[in-house]
Amino acid sequence: MSQAPPIAANASGRSFIDSKALMSLRSLELRARVVVEGFWSGLHRSPYHGFSVEFTEYRQYVPGDDPRYLDWRVFGRSDRYYIKKFEDETNLRCHLIVDQSRSMTFKSIGHTKAEYAATLAATLAYFLHRQGDATGLLAFDDRVRDYLPAKHRAGHLRQLLLALERPASGQATDLISPLRHLAEIVHKRGLMVFISDFLAPIEALDRSLAALVAGGHEVVAFQILDPAEVDFGFERESLFEDLESGQTLFIDPKVARRDYVPRFEAHTAELRRRCQTHGVPVHRLLTSEPLDFALLTFLQERARRGRQVRHRTAPGGNVSA
Amino acid sequence: MNFLAPLFLAGAAAIALPIFFHLIRRTTRDRLFFSSLRFLKPSPPRMNRRSRLENLFLLLLRCTALALLAAGFARPFLRRDATNETPPNPNRRIAVLVDTSASMRRPGVWDDARAKAAALIRRAQPQDECAVLTFDRTSTPRFSFEEWARTPAGERSATAIGRLDDVQPGWSATHLGDALITAAESLQDQGDTPFTGRKEIVLITDLQEGSRLDRVQGYDWPKDVALRVEIARPAIAGNAGLQIINDPHGTVASTSTVVRVRVTNASDSRKEQFTVAWARSGSDAPVGTPQEIYVPPGQSRTVSLPAPTNAAPDRIVLLGDDEPFDNTVHVFPPEPVQLPIVFVGNDTLDDSKEPLFFLRRALPTTPGLAIRLSVASPSAPAAAGILEAAALIVSTGTLEAPAADAVQSAIHAGKTFLFAPRRAEDFTTLARLLGLPSIAAEEKKPATYAMLGDLDFRHPLLAAFADPRFSDFTRIHFWKYRRIDPQVLPNARIIARFDTGDPAWIEIPLKKGRILVLTSGWQPEDSQLALSTKFVPLLFSMIESAGAPLRPSTAVQLVDAPVVLPENSRGGVVVRAPGAEPITLPAGTTRFTDARTPGVYEITAGTTTQKVAVNLDPSESLTAPRNPDDLERVGAPVADPVAKPTPSPVRAAQLAAAEAEGRQKLWRWFLIATLAVLLIETAVAGWSLRKRTPAGEATA
Repeated sequence: MSQAPPIAANASGRSFIDSKALMSLRSLELRARVVVEGFWSGLHRSPYHGFSVEFTEYRQYVPGDDPRYLDWRVFGRSDRYYIKKFEDETNLRCHLIVDQSRSMTFKSIGHTKAEYAATLAATLAYFLHRQGDATGLLAFDDRVRDYLPAKHRAGHLRQLLLALERPASGQATDLISPLRHLAEIVHKRGLMVFISDFLAPIEALDRSLAALVAGGHEVVAFQILDPAEVDFGFERESLFEDLESGQTLFIDPKVARRDYVPRFEAHTAELRRRCQTHGVPVHRLLTSEPLDFALLTFLQERARRGRQVRHRTAPGGNVSA
Repeated sequence: MNFLAPLFLAGAAAIALPIFFHLIRRTTRDRLFFSSLRFLKPSPPRMNRRSRLENLFLLLLRCTALALLAAGFARPFLRRDATNETPPNPNRRIAVLVDTSASMRRPGVWDDARAKAAALIRRAQPQDECAVLTFDRTSTPRFSFEEWARTPAGERSATAIGRLDDVQPGWSATHLGDALITAAESLQDQGDTPFTGRKEIVLITDLQEGSRLDRVQGYDWPKDVALRVEIARPAIAGNAGLQIINDPHGTVASTSTVVRVRVTNASDSRKEQFTVAWARSGSDAPVGTPQEIYVPPGQSRTVSLPAPTNAAPDRIVLLGDDEPFDNTVHVFPPEPVQLPIVFVGNDTLDDSKEPLFFLRRALPTTPGLAIRLSVASPSAPAAAGILEAAALIVSTGTLEAPAADAVQSAIHAGKTFLFAPRRAEDFTTLARLLGLPSIAAEEKKPATYAMLGDLDFRHPLLAAFADPRFSDFTRIHFWKYRRIDPQVLPNARIIARFDTGDPAWIEIPLKKGRILVLTSGWQPEDSQLALSTKFVPLLFSMIESAGAPLRPSTAVQLVDAPVVLPENSRGGVVVRAPGAEPITLPAGTTRFTDARTPGVYEITAGTTTQKVAVNLDPSESLTAPRNPDDLERVGAPVADPVAKPTPSPVRAAQLAAAEAEGRQKLWRWFLIATLAVLLIETAVAGWSLRKRTPAGEATA
């Protein structure tokens, strides 16, 4: 965590792409490309040049290992043989778990949470694809709507983007069953990126997360929220209708805000607490925030975790990216 | 300002509603989609503080609209107007119109009608004007408005009721239409000062189906005259009636011994089985064979009733009807007309060459006509009275002096003598009758035959043949005739001539009577006249022109119709009405117009007595009550049939208030004001809404 500030500091000086301008682009692929390309060009200027989503692992050489993977530089420094091992043998297998429930269609600014989430997922998919990683998709609402296994193949990205462009339709949000589903069908370890507003019961969430984490998967959660959902900045009393259940309530925002904000924050804190129990970081993204900032946050988080692992696997702390 | 229905003012309490709605925050109709209501609680409508009442002008408009509406529903009126303009009891002008037609004679009806009229007259207020009229075929004023005005107020009712007590229903038909028009006219203003109160006709009647209303149909009913109907009810419902079916000439079929009557049964009748029989005056015991007849209620049946031969009935009665009204019709069984003909000569009845043989066969006896042909000797005077009674005296030969004198005196008395001499010498009889010394006559025998060439169809004798269908006499051939010079005959009129120009048929008036001379006889020796189709009509034409009646003299007619008296009533006519003293009418009177009671009228003129049966108008037998709506249908508007009692002072005040309110109709203005306020309110509310609505809030 001590490495994080440079990025933040850098982020403040960096010119991010405005989310409104980005969302005005109709093509999801174009949006993803804009973010990633911009991000690439930014990366060359960044001090984090060369780091990858795939982090390496070092273990001591034992007879029989391929001498090609000996890290000679480590040997030069420590006079010991270490094998440079890649995560998951070869490439990263990433599954994007995207919430497409009706609650994601809420918007108080120019674009919905679903569009924002789809763009985020597309950005990550595009980014990973550029790196040669296999990317899969699981879209869900109250049940699993689409599932694309993680592949790195020509045309797969397009298929994935098409699935992401489908409109949200589900009447409810079930956060548990997609995770359980993935735990059942994905046996190879990989990265699970969970994109949702998490505005659903989360009591059973930690059990599903535990199953995934126990299966060796790394899980990252993005909570996509509309700014109005956070601060409840409505002015006029209105009849509020739940997008998923259709339930209506007469709400005077001035009165309701007093209760809403603490209850909402409590929910988010509870989500965060349950996720952190299993080592799952939760990133809150407001739809008004730039997407490349989200990507940066993601990579930063990846880097931090990679360092943590490296620190754990390389006593002496001499391993660096 | 007063209110007719002040309870509606309670509706003004609804003003509290807009005030309440202004005090609470308006529940918005804005609908906002939100991702999840999990963290939200419903907010109750928030009350504004009193000091924060918004849109005071709008509130005022809404309250005003409600208050105006409530006031309008409460039916406001101005009391000053109600008390000053309308007197509490407007005076009325009432014409009490009481039916006295024959149908009112049914038991109980007249008593009911009189009681109703008396009650109505007693209820009249001192300021009211009241008149009493009775009507049947005509209307009769019994107590006029002027008399009412003249009579002291305390005695008016008693006097008017007393006048009605003297009246009894007659036997006439009900001309209700005429009576209504008369009553309506009597209500109109007589003097210069117009009457401002209510004009009313109270009709007290049984309103039977037979009432004639047709006259009202063409009458422009005055708008200010109200008609009220009080129905007088009989003690017994239902009635069966009996009527004679007249032949097209208005008399009972004369040539038949059967009389046809119609039995009608009213629709509300309970009896269906009746008996029809002939009866004699003073008794309902049937004469002859009675006939059973079944007539369902509301229908009618016709019965042919044979006249009994052994008695002299004068009426037909209907038995089995509980209601005694109209169960008798007066009628005589048709009697054959007696027609005595006297033939003076020596002919035998059986010799087919003699004129008498053909005369006997040309005048047969029929059921309606009893011809008595008697033969008198030409040499001796005829039996006493035989010539006086004869309808026609016929001779074909020479009469001896005594016989000729008897015939001459009969002719002088007015008889017709048909003389058809068989020889030229027989004209001496004619000369003797005419008082001439002699008449030259010669036997003429044409080479073939003679025909009738010139006929005077204007003469009453030949008038029946004037139609071209019957005027052809050329088929009758005359083999011989006696030629005389008509110039020698005084006042002779030649009715027909032969084609030779010689007279064939001559009429010679002689004092009161006349002589018809046929220069050629009808027997086959002289001509074919007896064998032609013209002979019988010619004989009857002679008899009829001699003044003998060929139809029965008794007639049947209706009550109130004038009875035609005999023409030869020189010494005056005595009319004996049923149950009344004989009335002697002066000479020259042609009609008796006072036949007001059904029954048999005996009319004696000189030595002859004629009987006339006078019956009830058949329309009076239709006693089932009419629907009062029929009056409306013909144009007489019927008001509430039940007489209203005089209202109490409180009720009267209420009525006056209701009338004032109905006249002023202030509620309309309140309603218009309400609508105007609501329009302003709509405009103001729309304007303020547009002003209040913000630029836009976040929506899903």
